[in-house]
Amino acid sequence: MRPCSLTDSALGGLRVIDLSQGIAGPYCARLLADLGAEVIKVEPPEGDFTRRLGPFPGDVPDPEKSGLFIHLNGNKQSVTVDLDSDEGRAVLRKLIASADVLIESETPGRMAELGLGFGDVSGECPKLVYCSVTPFGQTGPYAKFTGNSLTCMALSGLMYVTGDPDKEPLITGGEPADYFGGLHAWVCVLAALEHRGETGAGQHIDVSCLEALGAADEYNTTMYAWLGAIRRRFYSRHHIPTYPSEIFPCRDGHIVVIGGATGFPLMMAILLEQPELEEHPLFQNLWMRTIKWEEFEKILRPYLLEHDWLDLLTRAQEMSVPFAAVMSPQTLMESDHLAERRFFGEIDQPGVGKLPAVGNLFRMSETPLSFGPAPALGADSAAAVEGSK
Amino acid sequence: MSGLPLDGIRVLDLTQVYAGPTCTRMLADLGADVIKVEGLTRMDITRNFVMPENDSSDDYWNKAGYFLFRNGGKRSLTLDFSEEKGDVSAEIVKRLVAESDIVAESFRPHVMDKFGLDYESLTKIKPDIIMISLSGYGQNGPWRDFSGYGMGLEPAAGLSSLTGYKDGPDGQGAPLRTGISFTDPYSGIVGAGAVLSALLYRRRTGKGQYIDLSEQEAAVPVVGYALMDYAMNERQPRRIGNRSHWYAPQGCYRCAGEDNWLVITVTDDDAWRALCEATGHPQWASDKRFADVESRREHHDALDELITGWTREQDQYAAMHSLQKAGVTAAAVLNPKQVLLDPHLRERGFFDRVETGQGPRPVPHQIGAKFSAFEMPSARRAPKLGEHNREVLQGLLGMSDDEVKDLEERKVIGDTPATAVPLPVMRMFVQWPLHSYGQMGALGGIEKDYRAQLGIEPPASE
Repeated sequence: MRPCSLTDSALGGLRVIDLSQGIAGPYCARLLADLGAEVIKVEPPEGDFTRRLGPFPGDVPDPEKSGLFIHLNGNKQSVTVDLDSDEGRAVLRKLIASADVLIESETPGRMAELGLGFGDVSGECPKLVYCSVTPFGQTGPYAKFTGNSLTCMALSGLMYVTGDPDKEPLITGGEPADYFGGLHAWVCVLAALEHRGETGAGQHIDVSCLEALGAADEYNTTMYAWLGAIRRRFYSRHHIPTYPSEIFPCRDGHIVVIGGATGFPLMMAILLEQPELEEHPLFQNLWMRTIKWEEFEKILRPYLLEHDWLDLLTRAQEMSVPFAAVMSPQTLMESDHLAERRFFGEIDQPGVGKLPAVGNLFRMSETPLSFGPAPALGADSAAAVEGSK
Repeated sequence: MSGLPLDGIRVLDLTQVYAGPTCTRMLADLGADVIKVEGLTRMDITRNFVMPENDSSDDYWNKAGYFLFRNGGKRSLTLDFSEEKGDVSAEIVKRLVAESDIVAESFRPHVMDKFGLDYESLTKIKPDIIMISLSGYGQNGPWRDFSGYGMGLEPAAGLSSLTGYKDGPDGQGAPLRTGISFTDPYSGIVGAGAVLSALLYRRRTGKGQYIDLSEQEAAVPVVGYALMDYAMNERQPRRIGNRSHWYAPQGCYRCAGEDNWLVITVTDDDAWRALCEATGHPQWASDKRFADVESRREHHDALDELITGWTREQDQYAAMHSLQKAGVTAAAVLNPKQVLLDPHLRERGFFDRVETGQGPRPVPHQIGAKFSAFEMPSARRAPKLGEHNREVLQGLLGMSDDEVKDLEERKVIGDTPATAVPLPVMRMFVQWPLHSYGQMGALGGIEKDYRAQLGIEPPASE
């Protein structure tokens, strides 16, 4: 068992059973672990399915070396339990009885079938915070549908507004609905713990990844509910009247060109080293620029293609014009800025070696976050079975 | 049902626009008393975005759609920090800090220091105060003074390097951004969790603390997969459209009608056979080209053509239901109007009807979850500018009538914005040229009868 101090971590002394698989639930549990909770991951005998997804070093599949699994399950212990056996369920029940928080991501109804639904355990564990994280929530016509970030992007409306106008709707990279769902679950668990601090009572939380993502789509539903306007995907211009706020190619990659509140007409003209552009109607008039954007781009693009992103970014920001970088995994990991802020932690993952811990999500002055390697499948099973006797 | 978890907790909210207000809106939904501070010369700019009926007459700043969602359930206090009013306003902020548990701010680094409102100074007023700063790039490091607009931070967090079509001039499409300001709501939620973690620590130890949140950093874990691939294999990410690194086929397929689409993920061989049966093409299941995930990935283009041959004849909702019934992961790609009308979200009660000053409108919940022990307040409107000036200054700080009148006369507080450009110009600016946006192709349509479609009664005067 990892030693955990009650005073130097935010959530020291809390015990979490992470029965979830995939991304959303495990990410929620990892955040609780990084904040100091003791997190016991309960996996099926074959392991969380992300152990089989990779990436793997050298592309050689190995359940102990999955990059995705390591990213989501650092700082946890691992216990394997076969939920289809009486013994397995008995071990899990004991673990739940010892815990403050349970996180699960089974298809709605499945936990109750196993005799492990909220109603089944809340009598014995009245202080338990029982959090269910699923694609569509525990109720409603789609509750038992199978889902992932792609289906949630589709049903939330976000996908319809992402991509090029003449192509199919596009998913955002990196499985966004799972992470949104994981964050909502994390916030809700913390809120329920705060509630328990006042009342002494646990409860059930029903988190829907679709709704977590849907809440972020407010400005598109608002445009219909306020104006009857149906927003459609239109390159990277999600917010129409701020043009340009768009990603453009430059000499060595891409750059996000944003005029911001003060960029036009003068500072953008200076940035492009063509001061006469200050008088250009497309620099003077936002509406005209927005609507005649193709004409504006004829002025902008050639200059960008002759300059590098860091040069453009630095010169723009010196004038408080909010250009931004299009970062890649490599530029993020090589960033001086993130290095000085110590964003990436480092873990020593057995069998793999040194890997970045992603990442130091925010800085707390009294209770810094901690990182650790992901557990081998079932590494802590013996202790758990012993403890459950 | 019992009280809310943050009953009795007060948040002094100095944030504006999107990320900060999302953080404090979540705290408000969980029961906190959130006092939002805006300047008359610097009101939250989202008060200018999206007017009901595109009507910017009267007090339009109290009706804006983007403001309403992010600030529901808060109280509004105006305090102006421009020129000579800064000191007076900073003194009032300090008196409010003494009555608060949490201070949230989203200025650029060091603006708070300038007014003597840095964390250290605040602890002298309230030793156990919890303070959170939400900024584009954090409080230290070479980029700390960068201006961080939401539309730049999603690419800066690495997400756009993974978002894009698979075909393009460089062998892959250009990096693209999500159709929302992704990192704003995302980092706002991270901020809410950070504050709740600090509250739990304070409950146990009595100690407050300072939280430095960088909106760029908050979203980086979303690309954790690609970071690990780079760390393990030095592999650069490839933009692969709607395909999957793990499953095949996966994609977005055109359905019957105009701009209607269906997404499908075939998660394993069983799901593949189920898809073949459900679409009436059992022969695909015995085609050797599609025997396992590796061969399906190899022949993905051919598969996409076959699947599109089926989907383009299908209604998107019907196809979702028939595939899901067969055990295949699938979903209709809904446009914003369809989202508002979707039967699942309706049955879950995801949208509240909130009063806007121009009739009620559906507004999504901020927290995508339900709690069994308490019910979060619903359908709360956002405050009018300065709506709670007297309530806060007199009720909470015990100021006299004369003191408040004096602040009103000096325009430290008020209920009408002092905009940088004359108000008539602002009224024109905040009306959107929707017709032009439609002509550009940025809108899929403008429907005059939208209120009838949404089941919202138009005001009686019409």
